[in-house]
Amino acid sequence: MMNLNDMEGWDTSHPLFQNAYRFLMKEALCLDSRDFASWLAMLHPEIRYRVPVTITTSQGDSVGVSAQAYHYNEDFWSLQARVARFGTQFAWAEDPPSRTRRFVTNVMVGGGETADQLVAVSYFLLFRSRGDATAPDLLSGCRRDVLQLGDAGELRLRERTAHFDEVVLRTQNLALFV
Amino acid sequence: MRAVFDGSFIRESREYEETNVNQQELEGILQSMKEGWIPASVYSDPRVFEREKNGIFEKAWLFIGHESEVPKSGDYITRNILDDSFIIIRGSDDVVRVFLNMCRHRGMKICRSEAGNAKRLVCPYHAWSFRNDGRINAVPFHQEAYGGEAGLKLDDISLISPPGVESFDGLIFINLGEQHGSLREYLGEYATYLAFYTKPSSAGIELIGPQRWRFKANWKISSENFAGDAYHTPHTHASIAEIGIMTAARASSRKGGATFHVGAGFGATFKLGDGNFEERLRSIGYTTPMIESRRRAWPEVIQRIVGEEGHVPSASTVFPNLSMLHLWARVDGGETPVPYTTVRLWQPVSETETEMLSWCAVDKDATPEFKEASYKAYLMSFGSTGMFEQDDTENWSAVTAMSRGILGRRAKLHSRMGLLAEGSPLNPPVEFGGPGIAHVGFNEHNQRQWLRMWCDYMDNR
Repeated sequence: MMNLNDMEGWDTSHPLFQNAYRFLMKEALCLDSRDFASWLAMLHPEIRYRVPVTITTSQGDSVGVSAQAYHYNEDFWSLQARVARFGTQFAWAEDPPSRTRRFVTNVMVGGGETADQLVAVSYFLLFRSRGDATAPDLLSGCRRDVLQLGDAGELRLRERTAHFDEVVLRTQNLALFV
Repeated sequence: MRAVFDGSFIRESREYEETNVNQQELEGILQSMKEGWIPASVYSDPRVFEREKNGIFEKAWLFIGHESEVPKSGDYITRNILDDSFIIIRGSDDVVRVFLNMCRHRGMKICRSEAGNAKRLVCPYHAWSFRNDGRINAVPFHQEAYGGEAGLKLDDISLISPPGVESFDGLIFINLGEQHGSLREYLGEYATYLAFYTKPSSAGIELIGPQRWRFKANWKISSENFAGDAYHTPHTHASIAEIGIMTAARASSRKGGATFHVGAGFGATFKLGDGNFEERLRSIGYTTPMIESRRRAWPEVIQRIVGEEGHVPSASTVFPNLSMLHLWARVDGGETPVPYTTVRLWQPVSETETEMLSWCAVDKDATPEFKEASYKAYLMSFGSTGMFEQDDTENWSAVTAMSRGILGRRAKLHSRMGLLAEGSPLNPPVEFGGPGIAHVGFNEHNQRQWLRMWCDYMDNR
């Protein structure tokens, strides 16, 4: 899974921790309230948004995710196409919409490769309820985000890598963003 | 039926009756199916599913994986078919084999990871070890514990192979029945159509994936859908056309496609615009070198269907658990679409749940840039996040849920499109340029043939 060993010195006391934390909270709120326009506005135009496929491998064999296969491997164009689909009358997978709740926790922040970038690592638990189903879909995982600092101090999501904790996803489709 | 002698047998016999659909009921189901009326209960009755396990999954050829998933000697993957776990491993002799993932000693599951590389597979329980060609490698304390060869002849021990293992252009199939014909007999002339997907060049395809997820739907619905349901495309997938990812999904375009079936296979096509072989392939995103490689590698039948008839195969099912699909999608703001192929295995979990294994298949000889773009087109359209697929699973799980109701399970669902009330066909079959029976326009001839095949297996003939 995601290698957190290179996070020496990272913690919750980075001077811009609160900025990054606020960004992640706001993002979860946008997605859970289906305010996709505001969500797209939080993304950097050159975003790389990737969710590689989790696989079970022996200890020491590899990192537990596929090197080639993805659930998501997106750029801004494809993300906005996915959002545009929700705006049609025919996106049955999300009409009626799921009720979702993104629990984002265990946030740590460190410096990025350049002075105008932050790296934020977080855990997530995505709760998805559809119709009157009594068993919710749950997606658990972790994320590593690169946040780009703008001139006015605003942040934009430049890169996201998310890993699911499960190999066989217990949701009938991923018509949602993590 | 078993004889009933005493109390314990009576109990077992009752359990048998309760867990398996009885002959009289089955005959009613089969009769109805053959007339194009599907008893909704077949999508959620656990007794029907029990019968399918023995009737279908113990007798038909089952897709299990692709040789490109184990490219190097010693590479292995594990994969389930119902409750059996299998190891697919490329031996040091470069031969790909399939074994039951079960130690010959006390039945422990040997490989617990999904993928890896090994010269020897060592059982975690008592350390019996097997070579990557399945033969026993070593048994600890062979001399002291067994008296050496006197107690346990090592040459007699190897991992269990399914009774049938055969491959077609790298697609690996197994047969769990002790008596079975060859894979080629089973596929019949559909093998020609499979080559459309498996032979884009002389190098063949490689699979990327799989993505794995579960949905609460009976496995038959998806297998039938890919067998020829062109009728759902314009409505279920209207969003794809509307946002411009694939405008050919519209009814005006989709209704010109053909459906065809032969052997154990079922396929549907999209009708392309005017032009020759090259122009038609170019219109869906193929470049000159890719067109040339298809001209060299595809069977003549495929070249004729695409070039002369203007039909490009789209969805395809090989009964019961393999489906494939070839389409094209825009992956950026430009007008040129990118073609992609998906391969999927429908893995029944229960009568109301299916695990999907979905891969993207690419020409092994394609450029890295094309492979990447084609994978992107796949991700946007099919697989766990695909914008086509998302809406399919929504339909299939709701059909399954409806089929469980007291009233719902009594319903007979309509599968008679293309037939008039008295049973004669609305339109005659067409000359199509390839083997099998083909029809143009929306119809359910393929699905009915799929159901007839299901009936024949369920009927044990």
